Amino acid sequence: MLSALGNPRQAAAQLMNFGLILSTAFMMWKGLSVISDSPSPIVVVLSGSMEPAFQRGDLLLLWNRNLFTETSVGEVVVYNVRDKDIPIVHRVISKFGTGPTAKLLTKGDNNDSDDTKLYAPGQNYLVREDIIGRSVVGYMPFIGYVTIMLSEHPWMKTVMLGIMGLVVVLQRE
Amino acid sequence: MATQEKITVYNIADLKNTTDDAIPNYLTSLSFTPSHLLTDVRLALGFSAFALSAACFAWDYNFGFESTKTYTAFAVALYTILNGLLTFWIFYVEKGTIYQGTSPKGDKIRISTETKKNVPVYHMTIEVKDGKTGERKTLKISRSFTEWFDAAGRFVAAPLQTVLAQGVDVIGRVDTKRANAAKVEGGEAGPSAVYTPEMLAMLSGEGVSVGSAAETATGTEAAEAKKGGKRRKN
Repeated sequence: MLSALGNPRQAAAQLMNFGLILSTAFMMWKGLSVISDSPSPIVVVLSGSMEPAFQRGDLLLLWNRNLFTETSVGEVVVYNVRDKDIPIVHRVISKFGTGPTAKLLTKGDNNDSDDTKLYAPGQNYLVREDIIGRSVVGYMPFIGYVTIMLSEHPWMKTVMLGIMGLVVVLQRE
Repeated sequence: MATQEKITVYNIADLKNTTDDAIPNYLTSLSFTPSHLLTDVRLALGFSAFALSAACFAWDYNFGFESTKTYTAFAVALYTILNGLLTFWIFYVEKGTIYQGTSPKGDKIRISTETKKNVPVYHMTIEVKDGKTGERKTLKISRSFTEWFDAAGRFVAAPLQTVLAQGVDVIGRVDTKRANAAKVEGGEAGPSAVYTPEMLAMLSGEGVSVGSAAETATGTEAAEAKKGGKRRKN
């Protein structure tokens, strides 16, 4: 493959193929994001606070549009705590008001108390804006454990990269 | 060219790619002028799609999802269109073309190649347009890869060049040496004369030799073959 680099057009074409793989993957993610109107349309359940409905390690596909109905009490939603990037999957247990300024309170099915202590200091309720997924439209059990393992044991990332590097080098021969 | 690269002879993709790379080199060495239009359009489409996705990544990273939603939606739609055009270009316009250009005598030539899965035969479709008469012709040449790869997987340029020079008169006019070399009656099953596997091994052992060394080798082999019986070459 390296011998092709003598010709600049061929080198450019190979670079282009590699770049297109990355960019197509990225655009597919962004496309899903735009269609579902969620900044993160695929999330992993990180805790067991919604058992037995959702287990730790489940992969969820989210939908974030209110086309026909408003988010109401009893729905399972996914939200980010203000200024944090951690998605929390809990159920809406009370609602005051209607529309985008309605105040929502959530609680995990498997938790003893509601989410007030999870919210940011000074925040006592959620509004529609905080929610990144108003309903779960698809789910795959267990797959998300890879992400959980990688974030809880960062050395595994190094091991994975090392193995991938080894495979690439060995394939050349 | 002392040590030559060896490829896996069982890998059709390797055989095809090596041969596809050799033909433009050969034609360029004969002073053919290549036309880069096909490649350039493909590169333009591919890189603009990539640039769009890079821009989308940049504004999403810097400004967040909510404020750039509309731009992202347009970017995804435009990216899909560009990728669709690129695929269309590769499958319907390029169609396996490996070379397009003009000979030093003014004739136009376009060569596309294909192989069928697990069959080691190289199919070439050559479209020529005569520079003076404007007459168009399409030739199909199918030869076995064994004609220009030796058993170890080294590529030997001379037999491939001879096939092209003798099969396509536009090339033969420019490369008179190969056109007048001993004729190789070949086909999908391989050559039936001149270039025996032992010869290919010998030719590749000398390196990719073009010129009188190969010619005399061809000449002596043909003479000895006529005398009957293969001789062990070393």
